[in-house]
Formats: sequence, C-alpha cells, structure tokens
Amino acid sequence: MKTQAASITRVMMREPRIYGAAIGAMVISSLLLYLAPLVPLVVIDGVLRPSEQGPTTFELFLLSLMGGVDFISANLWWACVVILLLTAFAGLFAYFRGVLAANATERIVQKMRDDLYQRLQRAPVGFIDRSETGDLIQRCTSDVDTVRIFLSAQVVEIARAVAMLIVPLPIMLMISPIMTLASVLLLPPIVLFAVFYFKRIRSAFIDVEEAEAALTSTVQENVTGIRVVRAFAQQDQETEGFDVRNGTHRDLDNYLYRVLAWFWSTSDLMCMSQKIIAVGTGMVLLSMGRLEVGALFFFITAVSMFVWPIRQMGRILAELGKAQVALGRINYVLGQPEETDGESGATLDGSVLSGAISFQNVTFAHEESAPVLHEVSFDIAGGSTIALVGPSGCGKSTIINLLMRFYEPDEGQILLDGMALNDIDRLSLRSNLSIVLQEPFLYSRSLRDNLAMGRSNAEEVEIVEAANVAAIHDAIVGFDEGYSTVVGERGVTLSGGQRQRLAIARALLRDPAVLVLDDALSAVDTKTERAILAALQQRHHRHTTIIVAHRLTTVMQADEVLVLDQGRIIDRGTHAELLEREGLYQRLWKIQNEGMDAMTGLSGEVAP
Amino acid sequence: MTQLSPHVEDVLGSVDRGLWRRIAGHGYPYKKSALSMIGSGILLAVIESLLPLITGYLIDAIIGKADTSQITWLAVSYVGLSIGFCILVWWFIVAAGRLATGMAHDIRRASFVRLQELEFSYFDTQPAGWLVSRLTSDCRKVASLMPWLLLDLSWGITFLVVVSVGMLIINWLLGLCVLVVVPLLVLVTFIFERKLLRSSRLMRKTNSELTAVYNEGISGVRTSKSLTREVENIDEFQSVSQAMRDYTMLNAVQTSIFLPIVTSIGGMGVGIALWVGGIKIEQDAGLSIGMLIAFMQYAVLFAMPVRELAARLSDLKGAQAAGERIQGLLEREPEIQDSDEVRSRIDAATKGKRSGAAVDGGDHRIETIEFRDVSFWYKPEEPVIQHFDLSIRPAETIALVGPTGGGKTTIASLLCRFYEPCAGGIFMNGVEYRKRSLHWLQSSLGIVLQQPHLFSGSVARNIAYAQPSATIEQIETAARTVEAHDFITQLPDGYDSDVGEGGGRLSVGQRQLIALARAILADPQVFIMDEATSSVDTETEHHIQRGIEAVLSRRIAVVIAHRLSTVRSADRILVIDGGEIIEQGSHQALLEAGGAYQALYRRHFAGPE
Repeated sequence: MKTQAASITRVMMREPRIYGAAIGAMVISSLLLYLAPLVPLVVIDGVLRPSEQGPTTFELFLLSLMGGVDFISANLWWACVVILLLTAFAGLFAYFRGVLAANATERIVQKMRDDLYQRLQRAPVGFIDRSETGDLIQRCTSDVDTVRIFLSAQVVEIARAVAMLIVPLPIMLMISPIMTLASVLLLPPIVLFAVFYFKRIRSAFIDVEEAEAALTSTVQENVTGIRVVRAFAQQDQETEGFDVRNGTHRDLDNYLYRVLAWFWSTSDLMCMSQKIIAVGTGMVLLSMGRLEVGALFFFITAVSMFVWPIRQMGRILAELGKAQVALGRINYVLGQPEETDGESGATLDGSVLSGAISFQNVTFAHEESAPVLHEVSFDIAGGSTIALVGPSGCGKSTIINLLMRFYEPDEGQILLDGMALNDIDRLSLRSNLSIVLQEPFLYSRSLRDNLAMGRSNAEEVEIVEAANVAAIHDAIVGFDEGYSTVVGERGVTLSGGQRQRLAIARALLRDPAVLVLDDALSAVDTKTERAILAALQQRHHRHTTIIVAHRLTTVMQADEVLVLDQGRIIDRGTHAELLEREGLYQRLWKIQNEGMDAMTGLSGEVAP
Repeated sequence: MTQLSPHVEDVLGSVDRGLWRRIAGHGYPYKKSALSMIGSGILLAVIESLLPLITGYLIDAIIGKADTSQITWLAVSYVGLSIGFCILVWWFIVAAGRLATGMAHDIRRASFVRLQELEFSYFDTQPAGWLVSRLTSDCRKVASLMPWLLLDLSWGITFLVVVSVGMLIINWLLGLCVLVVVPLLVLVTFIFERKLLRSSRLMRKTNSELTAVYNEGISGVRTSKSLTREVENIDEFQSVSQAMRDYTMLNAVQTSIFLPIVTSIGGMGVGIALWVGGIKIEQDAGLSIGMLIAFMQYAVLFAMPVRELAARLSDLKGAQAAGERIQGLLEREPEIQDSDEVRSRIDAATKGKRSGAAVDGGDHRIETIEFRDVSFWYKPEEPVIQHFDLSIRPAETIALVGPTGGGKTTIASLLCRFYEPCAGGIFMNGVEYRKRSLHWLQSSLGIVLQQPHLFSGSVARNIAYAQPSATIEQIETAARTVEAHDFITQLPDGYDSDVGEGGGRLSVGQRQLIALARAILADPQVFIMDEATSSVDTETEHHIQRGIEAVLSRRIAVVIAHRLSTVRSADRILVIDGGEIIEQGSHQALLEAGGAYQALYRRHFAGPE
C-alpha cells in the first residue's frame, strides 16, 4: 500500500505546483463552505433565540464580524447575503480546484499517451511481434484511463474528504468538544468497513469482468466465423454455447449487485447512525441546556457534509491498487528500449546508391529457439533482380526482416553498397528500401493518402504513374470517389489483390534503391502479375529488386534464384539452370505445372 | 485521422419515446423488480422528506420542554425511518440487479439469435467489431440505465412534490420563498447537463479515435517503419491526443462551474429561509426555530432530485443511439429464412417423424441439383449471374474455372443459399430449395472456404466442429486424409493444442488443412470447395490430392478449381466468365475444342514471352 501510494505520488509530482495550488484552493473552498452554516448558528443563537448565559466569545466574535447583534436583528437580509457570498466564494475556489486538478492531470496523461505512442513507434518490431495487439491497446487506452480517473477524480475525492473533515475540526472543537466527538465517532469504522469490504469483494468484480470478456470473445468468434457456422449449420450449438456464457455473466453480475446491496445498505446504516448519534447527543445536550439550537444546526449540517465523502474515501482507498496495476502495465511499455538507442549512423544519399547487397555468414535465431538462418551468404549486384523461393518457414522472410533491420543478425553481417547496415542510420536505411508485404497494411484514409504515405510531397502525376505500373489505377478510377475513396473500417473494402497492388504502387512511388516484394503478388492474378512484372522490368536497373514467391512463374525472370530450405541456401542459379538440375526447384516446378498452379492466381481475387 | 469532425448534432435531439417504450418492453418479464424500483423510490422520498421535519419537531419539543413521551416517540420514529431507509436501499439494489442483468441477458440473447438468422450481406456491410459492441456495450448501456431511471424518476418527483406541499402546508410564505430556488436549479441543471452531455460525447468520440490510432500504430508497425513514417505518425497522434485533452478539459471546466453554482443556489435557499424565517420568528409570527432549521435543510436538499432527474435524462439521451442500434438489429427481418409454409411443415414433421425424412418432412437425400435460369445481382444494372442453367447429376464432380470476378464464388454462395437467386430457381431433387428447410439444406452441405476460419480452442475441437461427438480416431482419420496429422502431432500439445483466436497460431495453409478435415469429418451429402487449399504448400497439396478425390467421388461436389489435377479428374469443367458458362466439358474435350479453357491452359505453360 505504501509503495503503491509512493509510485502514484511520483506521477503526481510531475506537476507539483499545479497540484499544490489545487490543494490550496480546495482547503479555502471547504473552509468557506463550513463558514456558511456558522451564519445561521450565530443568527439563531445570538439574535433569534439568545441563550440565558449569553453568547460565547466565539459567537460574539462572529457576530461582531457581521456587524453586531442589533444590526443583524434589524437587517436579517444581511445574513442571507453573507451566506450567499460565502457559498459563492466557496464555489469559486471549488472551481479553481476542479480546473487546476484537471489541468495537471490532463498534462500528465497527455504526456503519458504521447510517450506510449512514441515508444510503440520506435520500439523494435520484435517487441510488437511478441506482444498481442489487444493487450498493447488496452495498456494505452483503458489502463491510461484508470490512471487518469485516479488522478483527476479519486485523488481529488480523497483529498476533499480529508479537507472536509479536518477543516471544520477546529470550529467544531471551539463550539463543543463533546459534540465533535459524537460527530466523528463512527468515521473510522465507516472507512475501515469500506476498505475491507471492497478488498474482499474484489474477486466478484474480477469474475464479472472475466465473464464479460468470455462473452465478448464468444460473440466475436461467432461473428467473424459466421460463414463457418452457417456452412455447418451450427447455429443451434453456437446459441447453446452463447447461452451458457450469457447466463454465467448474468448470474455473476447479479451476484455483484447483491454483494453491493449489502455494502451500500450497511454503510448507509453506519452513516445514518453517525448522524443519529450526533443528533441524539445534540438533543440531550440541548435539553440539558449545554448546547444552543444554532450550534446543533451547525453540527447536523457538518456531519452531512463530511460523512458521505468519508465513505467514498474508503471505497477509493480499496481501489488504489487498480491504478497501481494500471501504472505498472503502462510503465512496462514505456520501459521498452527504443530502436534508435545509442545509434548514430551514416546517412545515405539515395541518388548515388547502387543497391548492391551482400549477406556474409548471417545466422539468426528467435530468442531461445533453433536458428532460422544458418550462415547464409550471397551477393546481389546493384540493379539486379533476385528471387527467394522455398517452402514455408525456410527463412525467406527472415532475410527480409534482417535487411530492413527489423531484427539484428546474431552472427555475420549485411552490407549495402559495401557499408555494414549497422553503420547506417536506421531511418536513412529504410527510406532507401521499400518493402511490400503479403498482407499489406493500409491506413484508414483515402487511397491518395495511402499511396503518398511514404512520400508526402508526391505529385498527382507521379501517384498516377505508380498506380499504373502496379496495375491499380483503373480499379481506383472505378470507385465512386476515385483517388479520394477512403479505405478501411469506415470506407470500402479492397480485395487482397487490390491491397497488394496498392502497396506496390506505394513502394514504387518512393523510388527506392532496393525494392522488396515479400510474397506481394500472391493474391494478384497471373495476367495482372505478368503486366506488373513487365512494367517493373522496364524500370529495371533503377533499383535492386528482391522477390519472395511461392509461385515459380513469378520468379522465372529473375537474374538469379536462391532456393532456401531450413534456413540454408541449398541451390542457386537462373530459372533455366535450376530447372535442369534435380532438386527442390525442379520438383516444385513439376508439381506446380502438373497441377497448373497458375489457376490459383486466376481466381485469386475473390469477390465476397 | 487528423481531421476531427465528430458529429454532435444528434446530441441536441430529444428523447425518442416510442423507441424507449419498445426497449422497456424487454423488461416485461421483470415487472416485479421494476415495480420494486418505483415503490422504493417513492418510499425513500417520503422517508427523506420526513427526516428533517422530525429533527425540527424534536428541537421544538426539547426547547418547548414537551413531555418525554412525545420526544421519545419522535426519536424512535427517526431511528425507525433511518433503518427503513437502509433496508429499502438493500431492496432496490437487489431489484436493480435483477432488472438490469435480466434485461441485458434477454436483449443479448435475442440479438445473438437474430445474428444467427441474418443474411451474409448484412455481415458484409457491418464490421465485426461494431456487431460485437452491439451485443456487449450497447446492451449493457441500455439495460443498466433502466432500474436507475425508474428509481430516480419516482424518487425525484415524489421528493419534490412531498417537500413542496409539506412546506406550503406548514408555512406557505416561507415555503414559497424557499421554493424560489427550484426553478433556478432546474434552469441551471438542464443547461449544464446538456453541455456536459455534449462534451462527454466529444470525449468518447475522440477516445475511440485515439484507440484507432494506437491500433494503426501497432498493426501497421512494419509498414510505418519501412515507410519511415514514425515522425509524421507521432505528430498526427499528438494532434489527436491534444484534442482529447482539450475536450476532457472542456468537460472538467463545465463540471467545475456547474457543481459550485448548484451549491450556491442551495446556499441562497438557506439564506432566504434564514432571512424570511428570522423575521417571522422576531415578530413571533407562528414559526418555530425547529421548523426554520427544517426549511433550511430542505433548501439544501432540493438540488439533489433536480440533479438526478437531469442526469437520468441525459443518460437516456446518451444511450439513445445504443438503443436505436439494438432495436434496429432486433427488428431487422432476415432476408433469407424459412417461409411460413416451410415452418408449418417443420412443425408438422416434428410431431410425426418418419424415418429417412428431413426436418421439414421432405426427402432427406440430395441426388440432383439444378440451376434453372438463375440470375443474381446486388444492383439490378450490374448483374453478377445471368440466366444461368446447370444440371448436376448424382455423384458428379463439377469444377468451376475462370477469371476473377467471373461469378464462380457467387454460384457457390447461391448453391449454399447464403444468397438467394434474384430470378430463377435452384432445385434439389426437383424441389425448389426455398420450399425446403434452410437448416436441412445447409447441414447437408460441406462447405470449405478459401479463408479458413477456426475457432479458438483445440485442434481436435475444430476438426470435430460439426460433429462434436466424433471420436479421436475419427478426428485423426480426417486429419490423415488431408495430411494434417503430421504437423498436428508436432504442435506442443498435439490435437489438444490451442489454435488461438481465429486460428492465429497456425499458418494460413495449416488452417486450410484443418478446415478441410473439418468438412470431411462432417461427411456431407454435397461438397463445395472454394479455393480450399490455395495457401497449402505445393508439395503437401500434391500429396493430399488422392485422398480428396476419394472423398469427392462419393457425392456431388462443386469445386472452384485450383489445381489442374482436380480439374482434370472432374466429371465436368465449367469455364465461367461474366456470370455465364462460356464453355463446358471434360478436360480432354475442352482442350481439343481450342477455346477459353485451352487459352487458360496455354497461358500458364507459355512462360515468359
């Protein structure tokens, strides 16, 4: 609890002055709020129903502040104005408190959000690959929100509860020590009850959350797999499965309501008992003549003012752990190393880059597992086209990942134009390489924006030209809004082949020294593929091209084909050379042609 | 992404009463709980309005040295009412739980069932995430609103009425003076609730924008990095996070103004009571000190019901969009469903079940399938399929080949009745399929799609999806048929390995093999394969060919073709383009005919020009 409070405090201490001012405003505001019921106190006890012993010194002091007994007696409206002024000023300071606290919190939270995003942008790809997207998003959104609510509402609530209790204490003690005791007698049990009760029923909350998550994923699976559900006519079974989870969720949620019903009713009973004790004691003292009516009014008002915030405080204290856990999850992301850490490499000049690539004895393994690349070596002359083929998992994509410096080799080195990749500034390296992935990522904005994503100053003519090379221009013009058509969740859905062609156009627009097509034509039909490859051929020697493909017709025209299997280059040569030798390439070619694999491509872009 | 254009006009709309009446209909089975909420609200309001009054009487009794029995009676009723108050609190929370969770449960179930019936074109237009939030957050929002709406309406109105009337009876002049605060409170509260509703909507919208940007940043990490977009992305993100901060501040500022104003109005009420009441006491005009104190407490308390009523009203407005979405889903009639006639036959058939008959009492078998003059379109001016005729004989394997967008998948979807023909008809054993049970048809078909969807859970469970009672031997046999057994046993837990969400832990090719095994285990009367093995390794695909052929040979099969060996062994090959059959025949006959099929075949082998 102590350490929890400590690390949350550290977060707050990022804005010490604003929070300090907020606390100051809050103290003033509560003080003014308590001064307001003092006015009826002195008016009743001093003017309307003067006690036999006469007013106390404290009352006399207050009366003189307001202009004396006679003046008030003659001008009761003045009491009204004083109350109004006091509450209005209390309100003003409460406003300051609210705005200041929100200001400090929002500064901290905005910084937190920006840092998180920045960290995710700069983190190594490996970190993102290892993480689950949903989990990362949760850390960035709902966890940040938990911390935000804690800082902006809960901390303020706790502080307010404390201020509401401490500020009136001196006044209350001055009026009547016995009444003061009677007014706070039950506060400790009220707080403790809330803290312990909420700690104990935490599991009930977690159960409901888990049941809801299970319910959500059931619906999610059903909706995304609805075609399979229908294809096997499993609607009834699916509904049964859903019913179980839906019922469980309802029962757990209902149980939570019942548990909370006990909490609220019991703690209401405690709070009301506190009021009864105060009122009862007051009545007894009143009948004994040891307390004045106005003072009793003050105590009744004061108890109602602090007892509810104090109860809230107990609940919040019990939930302190939540914010701590959330903060821990946020800090986990912020603690990830940045890709650019400790790096200052050479900047490349794209215009003179030849695009020659050399892999020298490169070995790579994911963490503990077996290496996916064993001492791979090859050279690519600048401006040539090479192809990588081999079965799934043979290491093709790893070569690309290493070339892009998404991952670093464990052994060996990679050279670009004779320079070790490690010596080149990472951003500069990547801006001279363009990669097209098998499942390209498109941003949910217009097609034009997507194309110009890698080169924001591209001219319309250049965009259209790139789109033409990638054989996507006609499809784009076919959309109602042409290049302004928005893609993604809120826009049109593109077929796999259209996405790939769009990504190729996007890559070409950057006119890179090295163009990498990582199985980027798999969903494009053979006819279109041929057109694209021919257009690329025309641009030949403008860049080095690396083609990864399953379909051998795609790689036939490469200057050299590297055949990989289990992380090693097992053969290399031109298409014709490889075809003559017995081996994996020849075998694949036979199967594919006997099987007329090209028809895959013919029907690759399937309309829904 | 950067341009924030949240639509806020809808905020200013009023409460749609018809909609809420229909939503309230879901609460009918829980009417007892609903009545409990209303009853508790009224009783609580009465108790809460009595307590200050009793305090006032107590003070007067003590000051006036009334006899002990009266004081005791007052004190006991104060304590008794307080205890009653707490019991009511327990009671209404329990009732609220029953009402809210019950309604949420029922609405969810009805929505889920409706989703199982709706046609695919509905799913084509609705992103999965939206549909999921309909059943989760929308249901929760609408259902959890109900009990508090009932409670606060009955409590707030009762409290306002009882206290106002009570004050006017006790002292009409002072009562009137204190009541001056009510219209002020109402005015201020409603103005601010509206502003707050607006700013909190802006916050929510920006928040989902923020989530979307994070999502893009994470899912698109490779693309962003290879386009070296980091700096621009960060800049763009900051404009969203700045907007989020601005709207949050706006909301905080509004709240910080609103609450103090309410407190000040309460203070004004206390002041007025003290002023007017004080004069009355000074003049000895029939007002006791105790009553003055009670009036001052009421002045403070008035703010509460007004605020709660306004808050519920904005909840209602805030949840209105969610309510509309839910009702929209529930009230949507499925375009493809059993006709009334079929339904009555199903009812009749379940009563007197004949052996060998389907659920609808018709023939269980599918031996012939016939497309008669079938046309299909999304938009009438752009037909996808036109005047399509096809007659499939028993146990025939039909291969569909042809270019992208030629209509192959549409033909398969029509056959599965995922879509229905816009003109013409499809006949199973001579009976138009719309005259048969949809469930019977679809459970007779084995459909394998190009995009294989797996459900999270074990490999075994996925293969046995359509046959949950299948033995492990049957599962393994199906897996062996498609050569999936070897890779499955190499997984960490073999057949018990979790495939992950959507099968994400397996490669697309592996998923396709499992989807194929799943269909084989289901042992359907008709097999439909749409590019079912497009991502399977060239060599593996080669190996499973014979097994698949054996499976297909025993029944009608429609295969959207893919490997030449499948095409070659098909009984009939149809070349589809422009929604029509442009050529058909056996492999050999088509090659010799020298038409489109031959051209297709040639293009593949021609190599580079």
